This record gives sequence, structure tokens and C-alpha cells, in this order.
Amino acid sequence: MPLTKKRIGIVCPYGWDTPGGVRSHIDDLAQYLIAQGHHVSVLAPAIDDSTLPDYVTSAGRPIAIPYNGAVARVLFGPIAFNRVKQWISAGEFDLLHLHEPAIPSISLLACWAAEGPMVGTFHAAANRQRVAFAVTPFLEPVIEKLSARIAVSEAARETLQIHLDTDAIVVPNGIYAKRFDHAVIDSRWTGNTIGFIGRFEEPRKGLEIIVAALPQMISTLPDVRVLVAGPGDSEAFLKDVEPSLHNRFTFLGRISEEEKANFMASVGVYVAPNTGGESFGIILAEALAAGASVVASDIPAFDSLLAHGQFGTLFSSEDSHDLARKIVALLTNTESRVDKAKKRRDYAQNFDWDVVAEKIYDVYEMAMVGRSGVTLSSDTRAWNKFIGRRS
Amino acid sequence: MTRYLILVIVIALFGWYLSFSATRLDRLHHRVETSWANLDGLLQRRAAVAIEIARSEISDPASSMLLTFAAHQARDANLRNRSQAETGLSGALAILLENAEGVTTSNEQELINELRDLTEKIKMAISMHVESVNRTHMVRNKWVFKTFRLAGHAPEPIVYEFEGDVL
Repeated sequence: MPLTKKRIGIVCPYGWDTPGGVRSHIDDLAQYLIAQGHHVSVLAPAIDDSTLPDYVTSAGRPIAIPYNGAVARVLFGPIAFNRVKQWISAGEFDLLHLHEPAIPSISLLACWAAEGPMVGTFHAAANRQRVAFAVTPFLEPVIEKLSARIAVSEAARETLQIHLDTDAIVVPNGIYAKRFDHAVIDSRWTGNTIGFIGRFEEPRKGLEIIVAALPQMISTLPDVRVLVAGPGDSEAFLKDVEPSLHNRFTFLGRISEEEKANFMASVGVYVAPNTGGESFGIILAEALAAGASVVASDIPAFDSLLAHGQFGTLFSSEDSHDLARKIVALLTNTESRVDKAKKRRDYAQNFDWDVVAEKIYDVYEMAMVGRSGVTLSSDTRAWNKFIGRRS
Repeated sequence: MTRYLILVIVIALFGWYLSFSATRLDRLHHRVETSWANLDGLLQRRAAVAIEIARSEISDPASSMLLTFAAHQARDANLRNRSQAETGLSGALAILLENAEGVTTSNEQELINELRDLTEKIKMAISMHVESVNRTHMVRNKWVFKTFRLAGHAPEPIVYEFEGDVL
């Protein structure tokens, strides 16, 4: 793909040790670019320096702050700022790629400190009421420095338009679609089954809504079962569930990537009942790649991912009656479910890393036109020359 | 005494703010130049591909003429007429592509693929450019920038209207 190898610096705002959508997106992207022959360095907060892959540099220990309905592990402050500046000046990058630069994090610090070709990716899709972006007058001059902005979904793009009054190019998050091509149907998981993957103890993942919808589903589908994959304490979860429903649940714990593909391909219907805080919905894209029929809450991110219901069924978010109706309708109509599997698979190819990374690199190229490398802005400031300071 | 000190501090802070704002605007002007250079490069490449298509088997003599004319017009247009000329070329290419369903030779298919690729990139470049121009206009119109003429002699960036017209 690229004719010339570039030096690319990527900043991850969230702690590298904690699993998360943004973090794994950055990891996949970095590995893809390295495989293409580029030199990539990722700067991220990290608790344990010794376990980091060699392309990741630690910026220090992250601090846990509540943000967007979850706990975000980010980092800022003078020491972090110094590390960011050191990393920028030592890296001699052709381009910086900053993730989520509009939240208080090292991404914002890097955007403040650097001068030159910079691309920013915005993942969050926050509601208007949330005060996450309330510091606009302060942020504007910083965000303006980005040569190009990427939003991961139409929802994220809208958030950006509302809060920061700037437009972005939509490039979705990437999946490895090929992993799902060879998924094997596993008879343990087939039938009238409802699949769910995620940290089920977090309320915003919405497993409770499936629980609430169960009695209504059982009246028409007596053999309906719920299969839950993902880390969490299943016994603690079942304590709050009516005992007569316990035998409907199977907890699989954490599953491997291969098992995940088989799981998605086998279940009767895959459900994503998330109540919000979701920016893209990578798991839904993966379910589509496996050809699964999906039911998802109608939050903006899912609505745009499923093309307003074209590639999956949307239910009114947090409404368990509506969810039950939609699941029953899908499970009782096997033919239409199977018919559309190929259409869904084809659509999911749009999210394959081969397509997505190429698009991101196109944006990089556009940002680099006619500019030579990233420098520290403090080096070029006029008054520093006056007082003879060099940083 | 303290009153003068406060006054001096306020003036110094304001001076810093002006310098900061001037840098900010300068950076924006620079961004407009870059995004335009990028878009211009892509459009030039598209015109070249269009001429190649006009010479190939894909187009009949009539559309070849139309295409060659549109491509040359787009290349020669000055800054202000550029948007209109490029829209003309987009239209000519769109007509041709609609009728190019039956293309089978690999050479021609390659040309069409290249055009599709360029179209995607041009869409992105347009949105980047429009965004940087809008942003620059917005900042230039703020009172501090107007009152203190922070834009200096930098010309007002031209608004292009090809948003969404590409194929």
C-alpha cells in the first residue's frame, strides 16, 4: 500500500492495562500499520510498564475518573505533560494520531504541545445534556490544530457537530472479518437461543432488559434460552433474578476469538440491549460478519451501524416488552433469518481492517501533504527566542 | 502602586492572548492552504484519469469529446470558477459511468477502479477543506480578530461549493 514508510505516533487516552473498545482499536491499528512497514509508537498510560509490547511507551499511571457512564482510566498533569513532550520530540514523527482529544487526557496534552500534521479520532457519542464537552471555548483552539478529524460513527460525528461545531470524516472501527468466515455452527448453542456478549454486570450493557423480557418470550417460545459470554460473577447476577428463570441462563465466561465466531454463527439471535455510552458497537459488526440475526437497542450508535434497521432489528431502548416482541418475531420466522445472512456478511466487510486501515491511511496522507513532520510548538514560539529559552 | 502592577499584568496577559490568537489564526490559514493543496492535487489527478478514459474504449466519440472538454475546462479554471468546472466534470463522468456497465477488459476496469478510488478520496478531501475554510471564517469574524486585524494581509479563504456534487 504505502510507497514511503512513515513514522507515526499514536496517543491512547485510556490505560493500556484495562480492556476497552478504544484501546483495542488502537492496538489493532498499530499492529496493522507495523505490518505495512511503518514505524509506529503508541503513547498510553499504563500501570505495569514491564508487560507492554515494544511499540507502546508508558506515560505514567492512569487515574480513575467517572466519565460517560463508566470509569475512565486517564492521565494528565504536569509530569504527564512533560512525558508527552519528551515522547513527541524524541519520536521525530511524520504524523500524530490522537484518539479522543476532547477529553482531559494525554491526547489533549499532545494536541496542545505539538505542531504539524495531526489527525484526531473521536469515539464518544454523548448526549447533548452531558457536560462532557462543556469546556468548548477552551477546547476550540486546541482541537482546531488537527489537520483532519475522524468520527467512528454518524453518532460520534453528530456529537462533534453539536459540541465542538466541527465536521468529521466517518471511518468506522475495524474488525477482522475473515475470522468469522470460517465459523462453525456449534449444536450446543443453536435453537431458540439468545446470545449476549459483554461485561454483564455493568447496567449499561443491558442484560437486565433481557431478563425482564424473558417471561413474555416464554409464553410463545417455551424452550427459549439465554447464553451469556463475558467476564463477571454469574452467581451474584442470578441472585436478583427470579429463581424459576435460573435454568434459562447459561454462563460461558470469557471465550476465545474463535469461540466467539462460532458462538455468533450458532445462536438463534444475537442481542445488544445496551442502554447508552456506546460509540460504535464493534460487537454488532462482528455478529453481522458471522451472519447472525441481531436485535439491538435503538441508541444512535447502533442505529447508524445497522443502517436504520436494514441489517438488524432495532427495539426501543430499555423497553423489555418491545425487545420480547422483536425477538419472538425473529425466532419464529426462521426462513427470513437465514435468507439475510449473506447480505449481513457482505455488509460487515465494510468494517474489515483491510478497508478501514486503508481509509485511515488515506486520511493520514491528506494530513501530511506539504508538511514536514511533527515538532513541539514551544520550539517555534517567538518569545522563547527573545528570552533565549530552548526546550 | 498595586493598581499599576495589576494594570501591567492585565496588559501583559492581553498581549499574550493576542499573540496566542494570532498564532491560532495563522495556523488555520496554513490548514486551509494544506487542505486546498491536497484537494487540488486529487482533482488534477481526476482530470488526468478523465482524459485517459476519454481516449479509451469505454467512451463513444461523443462522450469522449464531452469528457475531454470538461477535463480541460476543470484544469484551466481559475480559483473562482473551479467549483463550477469540477461539477461539470463530475456530471460528465457520472453519465459515462452509468453507461459503462458492460466494461470487461482489464485495462478499462482498472481506469474505472482508479476513478472510484479517487472519488472516495476527493469526497474526504472536500469535507476536510470545507471544514477548515468554515473554521477560518468563523475565527476571522470574532471581534478580537477583527478589531486587532490579526489576519494581517492573509486573504479571506474562498468558499467552494462542491460539497456533495462529486458523482
